[in-house]
Amino acid sequence: MLMSIRNLQKRFGDNEVLQGVNLDIEKGDVVVILGPSGSGKTTFLRSLNFLERADGGTVDFDDRHYDLQEVSDRQIAEVRQKTAFVFQNYNLFANKTALENVTLGLTAGRGVKKEEALRIGREALQKVGLSDREAYYPAQLSGGQQQRVGIARAIAVRPEVILFDEPTSALDPELVGEVLSVMRQLAKEGTTMIVVTHEMKFAREVASHVVFMADGKVVEEGSAEEIFIKPKEERTRKFLQRILPEEYEAAALI
Amino acid sequence: MDLNIEFMQETLPLVAQGIGVTLELTLLSLLLAAPLAFYFALARLKELPVISRAVRAYVSFVRGTPIILQILLLYSLLPSLLNAGVQALGLDLNVFEAVDPFYYAVLIFTLNTLALLTEVFRSALGSIGHDQLEAGLAAGLTEGQTYRYIIIPQALVVALPALCNITVNLIKGTSLAFLMTVKDIMAIGKVAASYGYNYLEAYLDVFLVYIALCTAMQLLFHYLEQRLGRFRLAV
Repeated sequence: MLMSIRNLQKRFGDNEVLQGVNLDIEKGDVVVILGPSGSGKTTFLRSLNFLERADGGTVDFDDRHYDLQEVSDRQIAEVRQKTAFVFQNYNLFANKTALENVTLGLTAGRGVKKEEALRIGREALQKVGLSDREAYYPAQLSGGQQQRVGIARAIAVRPEVILFDEPTSALDPELVGEVLSVMRQLAKEGTTMIVVTHEMKFAREVASHVVFMADGKVVEEGSAEEIFIKPKEERTRKFLQRILPEEYEAAALI
Repeated sequence: MDLNIEFMQETLPLVAQGIGVTLELTLLSLLLAAPLAFYFALARLKELPVISRAVRAYVSFVRGTPIILQILLLYSLLPSLLNAGVQALGLDLNVFEAVDPFYYAVLIFTLNTLALLTEVFRSALGSIGHDQLEAGLAAGLTEGQTYRYIIIPQALVVALPALCNITVNLIKGTSLAFLMTVKDIMAIGKVAASYGYNYLEAYLDVFLVYIALCTAMQLLFHYLEQRLGRFRLAV
């Protein structure tokens, strides 16, 4: 088991955003988290690398145990060294070129020598098809290109797991494909990924495990087939019907 | 009315010699104020309980009083205070002779600049989105590294126009240092004028030197903005 999350809780004031979420992730898993907006899926993802501080729960990750309520700065740094995060709005470093965006986490973040970082960085950019854009600043790139740099930045540090927070939600429809195809490739290569997304087709094709969340809880989880073909919970069925009406018109009758 | 052109030609290089003192005063004040101003700005942004309020009070005090008053006040107060301190320690030192008024001027302009820079840094740092910090942390950088490589370089570019303003205003503002007998551009001009009552000519010389200095400074800042702000230019 690469990661085992138990009873993760988070509240903003009176609002209990996460009410004890459990999740197990094996190496090479592609976990897709679905759910209506406000279900807590993004907060859950952000809690995993402490962009959001959970109020309770435990995480076992890469043979280490973390108590989320009293995690130390050193532990936070340790987890962040082993994870990478792809943001909805790309969050590229605005004052750094594409290549520098990819290498900074290696040089400054992990003490990798500059030459080595450049080699890895170029390799990562090549993988996302942006070798010819390495000297461009984020402001000079399209949304899809920026997000691909974001993914290159994530894979360059060879993390144990990459966290994707709605990576295509901010993109124009015609640019979604190029990002998803990079993600498909990563999945094929065995990269461990946790993906919050609304891309149902991607979820169905790529996910090894699908989690449906609502109101801060995991309502249902299982293989892509279990969730998409025969969802057990009413809540899940309703959500899928709303998102994919033409496919679930029929399924609901069965 | 005739201008004494010959006097002007002779006096101009004399006045220009004051550029050294004026620039020293300006740059020392900026450099001394900058690190503390940065810390104050962070304290305000992070709303550190006590210091944040103290900084606010300080800034509003400096902004709410004319600089000439600050100079007169501190220049009356500081030497006596220092003297009392020296006496109390039983040192044999005549403060009024030993301390070059230049240092009082540096202190006063530093304190003044500190307040202005704090506000500039605060707004510039505040303009850099939280997303940049999160991206740095998620990439495995420490908060300090993220500030160093990402946030400060971006904030600096945002701050440059305001920094240019502060610098140019400081160059002009340090002309008040003549009140403390510091021999800057203004003071030299006044002294030269008083020998033969060539006030108009001397002031025109002073005028020319300040114009040249401030224009050069603005060009420098313009260049810096172009250079450091390259990343903001889309294709």
